[in-house]
Amino acid sequence: MLLKTETYKQQSSIAQYCRDGKEVAILNAKPERLPHYRRLVFNVVKDALETTYPISHKYIDSEVWKEIVFNFFSEHKCKDPQVWRMPFEFYEFCKTKNYDEKYDLPFLNNLLYFEWVEVELYMMEDISLPQFLYSDNWLQKRIAVNPEHKIIKLEYPVHMEKPFDTVNKKGDYFLLLYREKETGRIQFTNLSILFTFLLENIVSAEKTLEEIFNDILYIFGINHLEMLQNESFKFLNDLKTRGFVLGVYKK
Amino acid sequence: MNIKTGIGFRKDFAEEFLTGSVLKPGFVELAPENWMKIGGYWKKKLNQLAKMYPITSHGLSLSVGSPETLDMEFLKNVKQFLKEYNIEIYSEHLSFSKCDNAHLYDLLPIPFREDAVKHVAERIKQVQDFLGRRIAIENVSYYTPVAAEMDEATFVSNVIEEADCNLLLDVNNVYVNSFNHNYDAKSFIEKLPLNRVAYIHMAGHTKVAPDLIIDTHGEAIIDPVYELFEWTLDKVKPVPVLLERDFNIPELAEMQFELNNLEAIMTRKWETENKSIVVSK
Ligand SMILES: [Fe+2]
Repeated sequence: MLLKTETYKQQSSIAQYCRDGKEVAILNAKPERLPHYRRLVFNVVKDALETTYPISHKYIDSEVWKEIVFNFFSEHKCKDPQVWRMPFEFYEFCKTKNYDEKYDLPFLNNLLYFEWVEVELYMMEDISLPQFLYSDNWLQKRIAVNPEHKIIKLEYPVHMEKPFDTVNKKGDYFLLLYREKETGRIQFTNLSILFTFLLENIVSAEKTLEEIFNDILYIFGINHLEMLQNESFKFLNDLKTRGFVLGVYKK
Repeated sequence: MNIKTGIGFRKDFAEEFLTGSVLKPGFVELAPENWMKIGGYWKKKLNQLAKMYPITSHGLSLSVGSPETLDMEFLKNVKQFLKEYNIEIYSEHLSFSKCDNAHLYDLLPIPFREDAVKHVAERIKQVQDFLGRRIAIENVSYYTPVAAEMDEATFVSNVIEEADCNLLLDVNNVYVNSFNHNYDAKSFIEKLPLNRVAYIHMAGHTKVAPDLIIDTHGEAIIDPVYELFEWTLDKVKPVPVLLERDFNIPELAEMQFELNNLEAIMTRKWETENKSIVVSK
């Protein structure tokens, strides 16, 4: 390397100082000017996190939030060159550090994840629609859906209630999030476990609707095919109106 | 392509700007990092923008001053982005924003040292080889020297010459640094390889203490910076000039007013010599 170790050390020192604020000696530097760098750098990170996690930022005690953000930036080496993706690393960091337990915020991982998924879906690269047809006969066909979506499972209903109101409501919450093609807006809808199973099978596009229904009858021990079909068609038609279900695959 | 003044494109004013009624620059500049590998709403806006204006790009995360090796994966994405939007100018800062493999997302000063000149120049060459084009490197504002063994003008000039790259001359940064570090802005500019200036930045700044200006891009351009700009134009060939405004965004009409000021100076200084202003590679 052309860079001498001594020069590298000086760079590393100022960078480390910007991350943790711990006093450093830097050759020929004006010490009273260094805090400006720390402030500028830290603000970028703080702002990006507050933009991605507005609910977390709003409801988590501000001193706790400050501490978490501080720990993240001083201990974690941000990998992503695109600053808007950096908050995902924050979510992973908090999970690894078990901050939900440490700060008694049981919903923390779920809340960060939910907020992140919304941003990720909103920003992610476009995925072209599959080749599909409009059809009245869904049963023998594979259903085509908007590929810009995510099905997630939460333990706390942070998508419906204020974070601290969810603490005593631990359970299984499934939801579908998708990006509207036209507006780019993110929509989400709650799913029962049965419809989660249905959707996950539809998304994998391996089976016809009829085959999926048969699987459901078997797995969920349901006897009433007709009721299952009626409820499912209602559900899928609703998703069609909302632009998530497109039609059936051409082939 | 007859290009004059441009504006840094920001989401903050995208909606109104894209109506095209108030602010009408000759081109727009954006940071590839914020616009590449995205989709949805902002991709649509970007495509709309690209139909209306030529685009120049000004990177944030390449970090030519980093001690570590270049992020080639990142650079590949930049290359793809430049191609997709037919972007002729790709510029970056003469600073580092990543160290020990940790991104800092802001610009830190490189030590003004001989070994750093060699190291940074080598990296810029690598980038240019990979992209198959010359890039423009910008003189940045800095608030403290770090382990400096030479003056800033020598450092900037040596890097630019050694890397055989273009210079993005940020006139406001020169003003800010000359104030913060007590040197003469004009003699600083005279020491730079002015034949390599391919692009100019203009901006406002914020005085935070009697002896310190922070380069916020959050205010209107002040008169001494206009004056320095005017003086500089006698010494460089016609190039695109960009107005940077990142914070405290005013009415679009105010930014148009600043573009008009810049254009008036450019016309007076450059078009009297009957030169056309083009985006050069
Ligand atoms: Fe600049």
